[in-house]
Amino acid sequence: MQKFLAILVTFGLSAPALAADSLKLAITGPFSGGSAPMGVSMRDGAKLAINEINSKGGITVGKAKLKIEVIERDDEAKNERGALIAQELASMPDISGVIGSVNTGVVMAGDRHLEEKGITKIITPAAGSASMTQWVGKAQDLPIFRFAAHDGIQASMVVEEAIKRNFKKVAIFHDATNYGVSGRDDLMNQIKKQGDKLQVVATEKFNIGDKDMTAQLLRAKQGGAEAILIWAIGPELAAVANGKAKMGLQAPLIGGWTLSMSNFIDNAGKNGNGALMPQTFIEDPITPKAKSFIEAYHKTYGVTRIPSAVSAAQGYDAVYLFAAAVKQAGSGDTKKIKAALEDLKEP
Amino acid sequence: MWKRLLLIRGAELLMFAVLLALPLAVQNNYLLGLLTLLSIYGILLIGLDVTVGYLGQVNLAQAAFLGIGAYTAGLFVTKLGAGFLVSALAATAVATALGALLALPALRLEGPQFALATLSFTALNVTVLNEMEWLTGGAQGLSLSRPPLFGMSLSARGFYWLCMALFALVWLAMRNLLASQWGRAFEALRDSPIATDAMGVGTYRHKVAGFALGSALGGLAGALYAFNFQYLQPQAFVYELTVILLLGVVLGGRKSLWGAFVGATLVALLPNLLSNRTLFEFMSGAGFLFALFAAIRGLLRKTMRPFQAIAPVVATGVLVVGGLLVSNTEDWRKAIFALMLFSVVVGLPEGLMGFAAKFLSRLFRIPDPPPPAPSQLDGVLPPRRAMSGGPLLEIRDLKRHFGGVRALDGLSTTVREGHIHGLIGPNGSGKSTLVNVVSGLYTPSAGEVLLRGQPLPRGSLFETARTGVARTFQNLQLFTGMTALENIMVAMRGNYRRSRNLPLVLLGLGRTEEKQAQADALALLEFVGLGADWRTPAKDLTYGAQRFLEIARAVACKPAVLILDEPAAGLSHPDMRRQMEIIGRVHERGMTILLIEHHMDVVSELCNVVTVLDGGKVIAEGTPGEVKRHPKVIEAYLGEVEAGEAAAETPAPVPAT
Amino acid sequence: MTLSIIAQMTVSGSLMGLVYALIAYGFQLTYATSKSVNFGQGELVMVSAFVSLTLITLGLPYWLVVLGGLFFGALLGLFVERAGVRLALEQRSEGWILLTIILGLLFFSVAENVWGRDDRPFPTPISQQPIHILAVDVTPVELSVAVGVFAIMGAIEIFKRQTLLGKAFDAVSADRDAGELMGISATQTVKLSYALSGVVAAVAGILVSPITTVGPTMASALVLKAFSVAVVAGLESGFGVVVVGMFLGALESIASFYLGSGWREAPGLVLLILALAIRPTGVFGKTLIRKV
Repeated sequence: MQKFLAILVTFGLSAPALAADSLKLAITGPFSGGSAPMGVSMRDGAKLAINEINSKGGITVGKAKLKIEVIERDDEAKNERGALIAQELASMPDISGVIGSVNTGVVMAGDRHLEEKGITKIITPAAGSASMTQWVGKAQDLPIFRFAAHDGIQASMVVEEAIKRNFKKVAIFHDATNYGVSGRDDLMNQIKKQGDKLQVVATEKFNIGDKDMTAQLLRAKQGGAEAILIWAIGPELAAVANGKAKMGLQAPLIGGWTLSMSNFIDNAGKNGNGALMPQTFIEDPITPKAKSFIEAYHKTYGVTRIPSAVSAAQGYDAVYLFAAAVKQAGSGDTKKIKAALEDLKEP
Repeated sequence: MWKRLLLIRGAELLMFAVLLALPLAVQNNYLLGLLTLLSIYGILLIGLDVTVGYLGQVNLAQAAFLGIGAYTAGLFVTKLGAGFLVSALAATAVATALGALLALPALRLEGPQFALATLSFTALNVTVLNEMEWLTGGAQGLSLSRPPLFGMSLSARGFYWLCMALFALVWLAMRNLLASQWGRAFEALRDSPIATDAMGVGTYRHKVAGFALGSALGGLAGALYAFNFQYLQPQAFVYELTVILLLGVVLGGRKSLWGAFVGATLVALLPNLLSNRTLFEFMSGAGFLFALFAAIRGLLRKTMRPFQAIAPVVATGVLVVGGLLVSNTEDWRKAIFALMLFSVVVGLPEGLMGFAAKFLSRLFRIPDPPPPAPSQLDGVLPPRRAMSGGPLLEIRDLKRHFGGVRALDGLSTTVREGHIHGLIGPNGSGKSTLVNVVSGLYTPSAGEVLLRGQPLPRGSLFETARTGVARTFQNLQLFTGMTALENIMVAMRGNYRRSRNLPLVLLGLGRTEEKQAQADALALLEFVGLGADWRTPAKDLTYGAQRFLEIARAVACKPAVLILDEPAAGLSHPDMRRQMEIIGRVHERGMTILLIEHHMDVVSELCNVVTVLDGGKVIAEGTPGEVKRHPKVIEAYLGEVEAGEAAAETPAPVPAT
Repeated sequence: MTLSIIAQMTVSGSLMGLVYALIAYGFQLTYATSKSVNFGQGELVMVSAFVSLTLITLGLPYWLVVLGGLFFGALLGLFVERAGVRLALEQRSEGWILLTIILGLLFFSVAENVWGRDDRPFPTPISQQPIHILAVDVTPVELSVAVGVFAIMGAIEIFKRQTLLGKAFDAVSADRDAGELMGISATQTVKLSYALSGVVAAVAGILVSPITTVGPTMASALVLKAFSVAVVAGLESGFGVVVVGMFLGALESIASFYLGSGWREAPGLVLLILALAIRPTGVFGKTLIRKV
């Protein structure tokens, strides 16, 4: 036991000497299990950006160029792992920043430790808005940033869209995760806020991995829903779309950016047509920048599509954001980076 | 004696001292986080080991009890503003109560059925936590802050010391419990529930108690879990966690506190440590070399099966090679974890601690504990008193039907005090059924059995044993995993007064009774000539010795009537002589015995009275000599033979079919 | 309306229940010969489905894909038997529980890295267009599940009754030691049962993939349900699993409609604990008389 601990202390915990020509950026997220498509896309998007930066010699800080060194940690979407990883990162003396987390629970359990040490973290891509509410009324200068269209904003756009299309009766569908449940609450709030013009005829939930949505859809159908406002991720979205087609239910799906996840688009096939969402990024080469990103991603990882394009783009962007902050701060010190991020001049 | 105690207790002390001092030496929050988790998992796994190791059941509900404890504590803190102590106690209490509730239906089950029932409970628990949003916050989770202890707020380090102290307390309490009659009862009912009942120990109540105890520890660990992470979500307590916990117990080594600790270390730390590439390469390399060395040694000495030797080498070899080829080991973490676990489970089936215990005791030459001094036999098995010779066990018009088969068809007989009463009959004559009905294993279809004029309980081995009927089994029902001495101690109910009280046992106040029981049990072992084998596990005894041990165990119950079900079956001739001599000596001490036997010579030599059964009825009764000449008996054994002819050939050898 | 809803829920639920039944049947096959089951059966379903998907993308015709998938399933079954079960059976220990779980974890991780972590559609020549029969909507794909389940279970039962090898199988199931005395190798029979169980898992994977899509986690929920079905029906109940599977599927579906979708599994779980407490050997199992 003692021997084991000795090894543990030597290998795992001792602070490696601070290399002057690099700065450490941690990427955390679920790289295995059910939420892995988002986690892996985010990570690979971010690593793409890091490779680009490093191949140009690194980030210019003063006269030196700093390369980015990546520390990857798989949180398996488990809160417990999330907390330990945050503790591990928080106890690294020379870490410059953290990018990551998909699952809200992981953020809730872990970020406390980062905040205590004042380590800068950019949350991306998808953790629900509840992940930030824990800080309400707490720290004045919070080092945690969230990078994703705010779920509240997305929810408001979804509700607006439904009202604009003259729907009166809607059903709300959501998955049983924190993400889905807080999405449901956001939607409910927005409906109230926007003048109670929509009547919610059914509120239905499903578990991650559920494929049979017949019961939920039947209840929506029975209530006479004209549209389904939905808060879930790819595979379950596809299951709802396919179930809808099977039952001949016409009501369109209106939801968040997850409707652009490729595992929704592929698995729902033509049943997914007609879904409406506020988009931040789609895997369609509209702008030259987006085009080069998509091509680079496909080439680097030898795939023909990105599991979750939005996550990948956000991971990519988060790294550039981080790099810009480092440049502006002129240092790899996490507190200075935080200050720079709050007041970023160059995008 | 002292060396052994010093080494074993010393190792425990040293471990806890190092663990407690570590945060002082290394100031590191990550280390602190890992160690806190280790202590919480330690408590959790010790609890799980009660069902998995001692009760021998695959329990998949421990994650649920962790969750129940965590949520109870969390709700007490957030909704009621309770302090540390109150919420932790509440968590333990709720988990205990729910554990007992689940145990009532679930513990009637065995094997896969039990596993499934507990698994369902885990799933149900997640559903309820998810759906009761008004209380638990559902999937949104429950945030809480760590409550103060006696008004003082706890720092991360203070909290860790508290967790570790609780872990040490649990360790101590469990050591006391498992070394007591309770711990032995747990093990006994794993090996043979039937014999446990037949010794009057009570399978069901011990199972329920054991399960509730394990759940209580789950609840306590849950409270600490809640205070540690300060954020709870239902999906943290699902099936996957339960499987990981199970792996921890088995890898560490069952039935061992150290095993639970090592298991906790593995499952709590390994997944996190594998993220470190250097550490991973070191571990896979060391594992490979160790497996290779063990395999070569095992194959040369032929102590291992080829598969057992080679598979871990292959698995760890894959790790080493894979480590060189794969650029991102983080992606393969689960596979790495699986391969490591595979190597351990295949290569060290008794778990890491089972292996280490053997290895270390050889390394440090830890001596075997010395035998206790045996008691005077007269104190354990009092000499014969004056006997009335009156009726002791009366069987009246007993019937037992299986479907259309009338195994017992209105059978009556009387066993007199101080006699050895023989019971013979051809195959299928109802002997075994009679024994099983009298001892309470089967419920009679009609009729009754009286002991000293009082009716015996119907259809309960346990109740019958408590009223004073002890039995042995035709097919041995020893507690195979326990030593000869322990086998006897299980049956010595009369020796334990204080030890029935669980809190006293946990505090370690049962020691004196324990010493007395050991001494008494050893006296009985010597009585049947097994004194030297007192530390041998029952399964390693010779077949004959196992038969002798079963008799000694039944005698240890101090019954009014001792039923011996074919005690000589399958014995070699010398062993049979020895067995008869043992039975004779038990009888000399005044024991009333009902003896079922095929061997006519055994019956004729030992019995005062013999009853002959055929077709579920008594066909003859009398002294051995009378019975042997009885025409119906000859007919039943030999078929249609002329009575005169058969009577001439005395003593008629009855074939031992 | 209500009646048609109940009918719809019952039909779609029990069709899903047939998949539980099929996987449960795989448990039964190995339990019969060796009193062990593969706790990583779900991963066998998943890996076979992925292999079949790979064969499809290679452009093979559908029948060849099915054959290839089944063959691979059998190979996996044999691998599980060799690596996870045989040693434990020789030692008469319960190590197989852990080893099969561990092998499942290994398969899962390998699949994640080989085929990606993403759910993917599984093309099938069978139509996905719903047809309307008596107020109930079903798709031909769903019906193909029913047909496939009965076909493979029927085929294996016929094999067991009509061929010499199959009779050996039955003999070892009934009494291992007696079978050995008659010159039937128990080890070979256990191997056979694991191969068959792998085939059954592959069939389940191929049948269910067009509905559920293929992904590393596709079978983890299915397999727990299947295990429940196998135990509640009785691990030696034969076709009993079909009845229990369809019942559980329908019950879940109806419960999720009437109690709310979050409670979907609750009635089934409660019934399961009760059913076991009342009939520990399963609803269709044989009651044992304790013999000593």
